[in-house]
Amino acid sequence: MRCTHCGEPCSDRSIGNETEIFCCTGCKSVYDILQQSGMCEYYAFDGASGVSQRGPARDRSVYDVLDDAATAARFVDYTSGPITRVRLTLPGMHCASCVWLLEQLHRFDQGIRSSRVDLMRKTVEVEFVNTRTGLKSIAIILSSLGYEPLLTSEGTEHDRDVERREATRKIYLRLGIAGFAAGNVMMISIARYVAGEDGMDYTLVSLFSVLSIALSIPVYFFSASPWLTSAVASLRRRVVNLDVPVALGITTLFVRSIIDIVSGGGEGFLDSFAGLVFFLLIGRLFQQKAFDAVSFDRTVRSFFPLSVRREHKGSESVVPIDTIRTGDLMIVRNGEVIPADSVLMSATGYVDYSFVTGESVPVECTSGTMIYAGGKVVGTAVRLTATRPVSQSYLASLWERTASRTPRSSYMKLSDRFGLWFTAGTMVVAFVGAAFWLPNVAVAVNVFTAVLIIACPCALTLAAPITLGTAMGVLGRFGMYIKNIGVLLELKNANTVVFDKTGTLTSTYHDVVYDGTPLTQEEQEAVEAVASHSAHPVSQSIARKMQPSSTADVMVEDVGRGVRGRSNGHEIVIGSTAYLSEILGDSAIANGVGTAVAIDGVLMGRFVMRSHVRKDVPGMVKALRASSLRARLVTGDTDRDEIMLQDVFAKDEMQFRASPSEKVAAVENMRNNGATVLMVGDGLNDVSAMAAADVSIAVTDETSTLAPASDLVMPAARLADLPGLLRYTHELTWVISTALWFTMAYNVVGVSLALAGILTPVITAIMMPVSSLLVVGMSVVGARLFARRFA
Amino acid sequence: MSVMPLLVICSILVAGGFLLAFLFATKRGQYDDLGTPAVRMLFDDVHKKTEIK
Repeated sequence: MRCTHCGEPCSDRSIGNETEIFCCTGCKSVYDILQQSGMCEYYAFDGASGVSQRGPARDRSVYDVLDDAATAARFVDYTSGPITRVRLTLPGMHCASCVWLLEQLHRFDQGIRSSRVDLMRKTVEVEFVNTRTGLKSIAIILSSLGYEPLLTSEGTEHDRDVERREATRKIYLRLGIAGFAAGNVMMISIARYVAGEDGMDYTLVSLFSVLSIALSIPVYFFSASPWLTSAVASLRRRVVNLDVPVALGITTLFVRSIIDIVSGGGEGFLDSFAGLVFFLLIGRLFQQKAFDAVSFDRTVRSFFPLSVRREHKGSESVVPIDTIRTGDLMIVRNGEVIPADSVLMSATGYVDYSFVTGESVPVECTSGTMIYAGGKVVGTAVRLTATRPVSQSYLASLWERTASRTPRSSYMKLSDRFGLWFTAGTMVVAFVGAAFWLPNVAVAVNVFTAVLIIACPCALTLAAPITLGTAMGVLGRFGMYIKNIGVLLELKNANTVVFDKTGTLTSTYHDVVYDGTPLTQEEQEAVEAVASHSAHPVSQSIARKMQPSSTADVMVEDVGRGVRGRSNGHEIVIGSTAYLSEILGDSAIANGVGTAVAIDGVLMGRFVMRSHVRKDVPGMVKALRASSLRARLVTGDTDRDEIMLQDVFAKDEMQFRASPSEKVAAVENMRNNGATVLMVGDGLNDVSAMAAADVSIAVTDETSTLAPASDLVMPAARLADLPGLLRYTHELTWVISTALWFTMAYNVVGVSLALAGILTPVITAIMMPVSSLLVVGMSVVGARLFARRFA
Repeated sequence: MSVMPLLVICSILVAGGFLLAFLFATKRGQYDDLGTPAVRMLFDDVHKKTEIK
């Protein structure tokens, strides 16, 4: 039985009718809306493809904050008179049906003129008449269709999106012009090469010269400008990066060709020049595309909600989080993130700090407890008094400390070092070659420029970006997102892998184990009925474990301690051991651990929460060891799971109860002992340790969660691929270095020809594109071939 | 052979027309999203099918 809307399995037919079944009322209401609007063809594209609406019902009042003009402005692309265009991120969007439905928004609201979806970026652009509808009503429509817009306080990463779009467009423009010029100049040049010295009449030669110069000028000044500006900028910083010899080669090619042509000394190398820039731009495009595919690099702001409920003089209103001042009373409900450090005012509350501390079991807090921003409220809503504004929270300061670290990239360093070495070498060869020919100045100048031209490290600049860019794209398809291409080289150097247990090695979904007198079916149903009435996370886990069924009556919940009720004719008590010993009047019970359950006044047994090791972890760690990497475990968790993990790690390889600063110390200690550390964590709670490590991977159950300071994000299900990923980075390096050696050999031949003074335009015109094409081919094929293991 | 210069100039002008079209399309955002149009083109067909039912 599957839900008609979302396709998830349903436990019963209680919602819906004979033909349509729903897993929850949320799904049914979305279905009803679509049916009323005659839009059920939504299901025709990809079957039951709706977004599951299970989970707590959303409260529309969170969208009130969008009435605030300053807040709404964060989402606005442009406003012109009555027309406004906004862009919203909808994380739930995933298939063709979503695209279809979200582009029909005008059928739900007359004020909406059009909507356009970008499936890859999961955004929708909505154009509406601002006198007839507003951002808030649009957000409510989207939410009622099951696509809850992402309203984080960072807006929709709007500026960055625009910036990226502009960058990609610019590359396409440059590529178009370079490609156009390369093709046409080549056509002209081939005619000249074939005709030979005297095979063409003078008018035609002049026309060809004028045309090829005219076509090449925009290539030099527009298409090639990224290398020219980068080379100038790097020289100003007194660094010689790899762009310097490239710019040198391009400039020499261009200037010498123009001089040759104008002085009548030859046909010039403009075809090679335009072709070279074209290939360089293809490398740039690869890099940009790979960069575009990743957008997980968010700031701490994107983790917090846009708004919070504030109680002021007895009335409740939704306000932007930035307006929260010290002393304000906030109300935070189940599943919402606490935006500011505060003190708990409610009697009790449960806070899930897994993002901050890594402890995976929600913490029970009592009135007056200090609550840190970043915790997630579980169960009943809580009232909090803010002690600090949002921007000064512990979490924000932790973040800033990490963010201020300068990005380390051995890729850049490699490029810089190589650039200097390469430029120096080329210059020496060019000067020596020219000196050899010396009294003959004309030949000497020719040889000098020919060396600079042929030694232009075009193929070198192509090999790494294209190989790594292709690898990034391929890995992205398997859910592994890399921050930048340099990370792959960092990963290669790692020789010690440090794991944080919570969420990385163990599943975050808790398992409840029952220990005691076996319960009959009937008793299980009764326990489930009572437990499901309590919002306490442990009760909820117990309820999931039992048989779902009947209803309970006469409920008494002593919040934070236990719950009592009647169901199926049984008197059920579930609660802490202290609570049960009180009720049953047996002080012996209080000594036990876990959550006890009593039926009709008799203690039946205990429920113990247990997380379990992800099943592919032991094999994965073994594989790491096989590739002579060291594996360590440094976790903030208690050692209750030590037994579970002792098959995987030796005793001295594990460190429990480590605070964030102890984790950092452990990582730094390893680094001081010469290790290159790869930290594998689950996001925010390890942020400082991840930043301290040489390279870091965040493992998440959903890629939408935020992973600061991490260089790579991978889904938990892919953890078994970690050894493969590390081996892959070695293979990529092999591909790159093979390409480099190949171009080196090629260059030796070319430079020899140049030194002999016989590097003619025809030879250049053949050599340059062939070497570029070979390098591009080798890089793409190599990166893809070795990536087949991930499929 | 005197027709050659004319032919060359014509061919470059025609090619230049295509280049301008490409630059215009890029500026208008035709290359911004290469994924969604592939999905969008499927819609009309399915639409008709459901209407026949």
